[in-house]
Amino acid sequence: MGDEIYSDLMRELKEGKYVFTGELEPEKAGDVNEPIEMAKELVGMVVACNVTDNPQSFAYVNSMAASYLIQKEAGMECVYQLRCSDRNRMALLSDVLGAGALGLKNILALAGDHVSLGDTPDAKPVFDLDSTTLIQLIRTMVDEGKDLGGKEIHNPPKLHVGGAAAPGAAHLKAEVGKVKRKINAGVEYLQTQVVYYTDVLDKFFDELGKVDVPILVGIFPARTFGQADFFDKYVAGVDVPPDYLEAMRATKAIKDKEKKKEEVDRVNIEFFTGFLEHLKGTPAAGCHMMAVGYPRIIPPLKKLME
Amino acid sequence: MIAQEKKPMEEILGYLEGKQKVVVMGCGGCATFYHTGDTKAVNEMAANLTKEGKDVFKMPLPFSIQACDIEKSGVWLEKNRKELENRDALLVLSCGDGVQVVTEYMDEKMGITKSVIPANDALGLVGGGPKKFKETCQSCGMCELGKTAGICPLTSCGKGLMNGPCGGVRVDNKCEIDEKKDCAWVKIYERMEKLGELDKFISIRSPHEWSKAARPRLFEIEEPVGMDVIGAMKGMLTVKFGPKPKLDE
Repeated sequence: MGDEIYSDLMRELKEGKYVFTGELEPEKAGDVNEPIEMAKELVGMVVACNVTDNPQSFAYVNSMAASYLIQKEAGMECVYQLRCSDRNRMALLSDVLGAGALGLKNILALAGDHVSLGDTPDAKPVFDLDSTTLIQLIRTMVDEGKDLGGKEIHNPPKLHVGGAAAPGAAHLKAEVGKVKRKINAGVEYLQTQVVYYTDVLDKFFDELGKVDVPILVGIFPARTFGQADFFDKYVAGVDVPPDYLEAMRATKAIKDKEKKKEEVDRVNIEFFTGFLEHLKGTPAAGCHMMAVGYPRIIPPLKKLME
Repeated sequence: MIAQEKKPMEEILGYLEGKQKVVVMGCGGCATFYHTGDTKAVNEMAANLTKEGKDVFKMPLPFSIQACDIEKSGVWLEKNRKELENRDALLVLSCGDGVQVVTEYMDEKMGITKSVIPANDALGLVGGGPKKFKETCQSCGMCELGKTAGICPLTSCGKGLMNGPCGGVRVDNKCEIDEKKDCAWVKIYERMEKLGELDKFISIRSPHEWSKAARPRLFEIEEPVGMDVIGAMKGMLTVKFGPKPKLDE
């Protein structure tokens, strides 16, 4: 692995700072205005923001285009999420070159949800590469300046590649085996799927053992009951605690908008106080706050980590 | 064998619109095993089409005479040349392979160009039985089973990942796409664990070589498929089987 540092995210991780990242979701729209506005609010709160790539296989604005515009317009460093679901190895290679040319500095290599789960279920799923081989491809391109066939890349892209881990996976040993494989492939940082239970996190770190790759633990403070309920019902490997879910459900009845916001914030701060306190004692290198559309919750949560 | 199921009758009638005189051809191979092209299926299809006012000629193929094995099925086509010439369409109760082999033979060897219509949807190479079957091989041309404890992830993993599992495994180790299907990568992990080969699990498998599956694939063997196959089948009749094992339904 090369020792060069290309991004602020990687610089902070290497410096051993406790790192916070956020998440932005481009939509089915002909512009990226909303994520850009959200990103502006997050500047200074997080070092970088992930920009989702067709999350849950719903087809939205291209993540590379969105990442570029967010970096340019909002001045927020982006983690360009790149899924194998929709592109073969040639398109992936081409997109990584494109990302480098546009000045993107971080990629999160993902297999991606199956297309049948989203809004274009009759699409042909690709998965020509998987997350591990995509990580390997990116490392080869960046470090060796070579493509898959060993051909030289003129002025290779300068960026870092991360991967995902799922602490709540049904089969933890198989999941951890896969994470170790990603580490062997040269992944430079890991961001986890959302975790709500501290014991889930502890079991994951125990099973993984000591590794040299920094791990950012994913949390999801929900802005609405619907968001929390969606995670609980539809996102594999994520269990939302019933007490938290009920407290969020209760906020639905509050009619006054401002009071509702205050109560949602209170529920989140109350729940995450214990979780984040626990997180301080784990080997996590930081926290990936997937507070999509909910930037106001990040400062109080960050304060809990001080 | 190639699993298959019958197409909805409405779809078939749509293809046959404006075509009054129809030949219904069966298949003595896989379609006979799956009851989609045996003599009973030919009779049923003929009865249904007659009810719809079609003029039907039946052409079932005997057991072991497969539509796709043109050296043999061609004999039936030649025998019924007049009917084929005088009809508007040929409905073939086989997989897509049978349909196309018959079409090409009629076009190029018999000089008869007719609408040839599929009656079935092929569902892939499957194993198992007697009632439940599972697709485990997609004939990719570059077998990876030696790297994956004898379970093909390209076929059995919903995403076809060479390095799984993905993050979508369900609580009961089922696939994110379909709760009825097992996660192939959990199965691979468990087999490797039993085999004492977990070091293989965390090694990185290279991307699959899809160039080996460049379609359409052409294939040639030195010894032609011929009467020796029939001879082997006769030999089977002399094999004494033990008590029939109890099979899961």
